[in-house]
Amino acid sequence: MSDLRFLIVDDFSTMRRIVRNLLKESGFTDADEAEDGVVALHKLRNGKFDFVVSDINMPNMTGFQLLAEIKKDDKLKHLPVLMVTAEARKEDIVLAAQQGAAGYIVKPFTKATLEDKVTNILKKMGLQ
Amino acid sequence: MSADLAPSEVGTTPPEIHHKIGVLTRQLHDSLSGLGLTEKLQGTASELPDAKSRLTYIARLTGEAAEKVLNRVDQAKAQHDHIAAETRRLAALIVKDPVAAVAKGHVMNFVTDVEQATKEIDQHLTEIMMAQDFHDLTGQVIARVVNLAATIEEQLVQLLIETAPPSAAKTAAAAAAAAPEYKPALAGPVVNPEGNTDVVTDQSQVDDLLASLGF
Repeated sequence: MSDLRFLIVDDFSTMRRIVRNLLKESGFTDADEAEDGVVALHKLRNGKFDFVVSDINMPNMTGFQLLAEIKKDDKLKHLPVLMVTAEARKEDIVLAAQQGAAGYIVKPFTKATLEDKVTNILKKMGLQ
Repeated sequence: MSADLAPSEVGTTPPEIHHKIGVLTRQLHDSLSGLGLTEKLQGTASELPDAKSRLTYIARLTGEAAEKVLNRVDQAKAQHDHIAAETRRLAALIVKDPVAAVAKGHVMNFVTDVEQATKEIDQHLTEIMMAQDFHDLTGQVIARVVNLAATIEEQLVQLLIETAPPSAAKTAAAAAAAAPEYKPALAGPVVNPEGNTDVVTDQSQVDDLLASLGF
């Protein structure tokens, strides 16, 4: 069991629940949720998190905007942000990478894909 | 059906009704073209084929999700039934001769069986959970189609106001001005409209407006 704390950001509660359950099955049991970038940013600034899993297409603040805010903030920019989204355009993938996203998963995805991405990112960061 | 038709149309056959609808559509198109108003709807109308494909996508995704879930449930139930049957069989063996049940390996075999079955059932449950991702994917598509429908509706209402006869125009404009601002939904269908002041009951507002124009 890992003690890393995840923040799952998606405007669809079903998707947040799916990601949460998959993370739990992979050994990451500590997770919180946010329904958009605004709520996510508030939680990140007022809590302690180690990893962000975020959708892109959300009201109030998109995943790209959230990513930009995280990377602008000295206290948050170290956080790995894994984009999990239905946006499959190449330009979005390139943009996410240019903005500093740690990974990009396109929906629909499998448990193995999420597990691989999270594990690889944590290994790269020396957190696993 | 006949109650909704004008007296002259009672008993009209479907091809004739279709012809009448075609004539009306042509008249509407010509009227709108004459007024130079078709362009306003052109942009959104051109998105209609895209809307159709989106709705087809939604139907396909929900169908596939239902199929996936039902298949997994069938498989999980089969394994569950197998374990239930093996449990009854082992219970009978233990009652008959508990020492033999262990010595002959029945208990150990059962334990191995249960371990394997629970792994597989767990996998089925995970796949059933994953199949719910259709909710997110279809929800985003539905939001786009709803937005399109709302835009077309808004533009048609605006057209009605602009093309209303002078006597009705003032009333219609006043009714439209009095109506709360219509905000099309951005993401997915509204689930709980009751008591939600952010949800505009736009159909009744549209109905009021149309009624004021004599429709």
